Amino acid sequence: MDTLTGVEHLAEPDGFRDFVEARSSALLRSGWLLTGDWPSAEDLVQTALAAAWPRWSSLRRQDAPELYVRKIMVNTFLRWRQRRWNGEIATGRLPETHAYDVFAQVDARQSLLAALDRLPARQRAVVVLRYFADQTETQTAETMGCSVGAVKSHASKALARLRDAPGLAELMTGEVAS
Amino acid sequence: MNTEERKLADVLHRITPEPPRRVTVEQVAYRLVSEPKLGQTRGRESAGPRPRRRGPLFSRALAPVLAAAAVVVIAGASAGIAVLANSHHNPPAAAGGPASSASSSASASFSPTQTASSAQQTTPATGLAGAPWGAELIGHQALVQGSLISADGSLYAIGNTSTLDRINPATGAVVASVAYNMPVWNPPVVVGNTVWMVSSYNGGNIVLQGYDARTLARTSSLLVPAIGGVSIGGQGVLTSGPDGDLYVAAGETVAVVNPAVPQEIHRIQVLAGKTSSVAVSPDGSKLYVGTGSSTSFRLVVFNLPSDTIANESTLPSGGAGGNLVATSGGVWGTTGSGHSEWVWFAPNGNLARAVQVGRGAGGGLSSFPSYSGGVVWVGGTGDVVCASPATGQVLATADIPADHGVAQYFASPVVSGGQAYSYYQTDASQQTGLARMTPPAACTGNVSS
Repeated sequence: MDTLTGVEHLAEPDGFRDFVEARSSALLRSGWLLTGDWPSAEDLVQTALAAAWPRWSSLRRQDAPELYVRKIMVNTFLRWRQRRWNGEIATGRLPETHAYDVFAQVDARQSLLAALDRLPARQRAVVVLRYFADQTETQTAETMGCSVGAVKSHASKALARLRDAPGLAELMTGEVAS
Repeated sequence: MNTEERKLADVLHRITPEPPRRVTVEQVAYRLVSEPKLGQTRGRESAGPRPRRRGPLFSRALAPVLAAAAVVVIAGASAGIAVLANSHHNPPAAAGGPASSASSSASASFSPTQTASSAQQTTPATGLAGAPWGAELIGHQALVQGSLISADGSLYAIGNTSTLDRINPATGAVVASVAYNMPVWNPPVVVGNTVWMVSSYNGGNIVLQGYDARTLARTSSLLVPAIGGVSIGGQGVLTSGPDGDLYVAAGETVAVVNPAVPQEIHRIQVLAGKTSSVAVSPDGSKLYVGTGSSTSFRLVVFNLPSDTIANESTLPSGGAGGNLVATSGGVWGTTGSGHSEWVWFAPNGNLARAVQVGRGAGGGLSSFPSYSGGVVWVGGTGDVVCASPATGQVLATADIPADHGVAQYFASPVVSGGQAYSYYQTDASQQTGLARMTPPAACTGNVSS
């Protein structure tokens, strides 16, 4: 294990390392879908895990560490969106033919993020929790701190917006290889 | 779920890439030490049955210990290369040293051709009390730390909202913007009328993307194969030489690209592992290549154009490195302990003689060297310095005061039109954005580079 000066004062909770090693990839991918870039995703996940650390024993007893971590992630993401400048940027897309698969892969990711960027923060969070993290509507409501009805409403509105997102329809019909 | 929902779920799972690296327990521990507020319960964020307001680990009694530990960490990071511990640098807005269980891919997106947006809002300058060199906030955009550069009267930076932005230095306003997702840490590289960005850095393929320097409309793209696969610890993988050629860290090689075509024109074999950082001296006679992992950084110096190795050296006490910047006297780069990052200068590219410059950054913030206006700049949370590109000697220093007990951050400045610009962040008052400052005459670059 790497040594970090000063950090040895902290007692690592039982099971915390196993959770981080097992789930950080999935949490980071959720963070990427929420924020659209890896540095912010890492910041989000680290923030959530740091918040979970002091209460890890309690969370394990409740069998709810991941739910809690995702809740912190979503709330932190929503705070960031409120705090940071998020003015809309006019964009235009020119049709292109790509010669390489890697271009298609990169553009597929760009299309996905561009589609998610069309969503208000709470709708985006619901999409990530429901359709990527595979949470139930009840779990999503608990994570978001809202009612199941609100989750359904956010999901419905998000799907309606995503139907019009350029490029996403092709992804959903599998025309672009991942 | 209905069919549409299932298709969306499939797309999300299929398209979402694997992260370039994992989060480690050590990184989380450092965040707790350096930002103890993270460990405090926020009622609305607790899940299920609410945990106690303060967990047993974060008692009031332990809080001073954590605060003291944070001081130890910062002090340790400032003590120089000799005390360098293993690095887990992983700042929130910059690719850092790879975690122990990093995955093999660094994903990316490259933005579709965009029409630039019209001018964004201009904000009146706001003075920052006690800030170094009279810094005042002129913009409130959240930028990726270390991504700010200056070229031909404009500033360019990577926005935190996944954009490449062109900023008017006179007003601080974003005057053009295009969607861009950063696959590996690298600031914009401007050659002629084109801004070059790394748009994909993944496995055996690197995609470079060119944007019109004024409108940021996409103008070209180039696929560069990475022999042996790209490094997962890339920090500064694209640079330009004085003749305008691009140099790309491409697996176990460095690819040289003529951006005018664009086309790869040369390939330099680096027999020292996967390349993670590149820099070219201002006279084009030296190529500096960084290789290594989170525990060992090796610097190889090539003579150009013969491609012969002039020197090889390793950071004396281990640790990751990268973000190379070459000047007449040698090469500058970064390393760090935990989440504290600081800058070193290696005369003639010899890491055995490397010295620390500036106090660096802590708390997950980045401190990169920038070479602008004839001097090298180093920012962070402790101080902002300008230094001689020939000798590494610090020419002027300004302390960065704390903001209500919380560290403030000034990224390494860049110069445009005789003014210095820095990306500013403070968690205390939740301010962020572009700051303009007036450094002393010693930093005006009347030193031969």
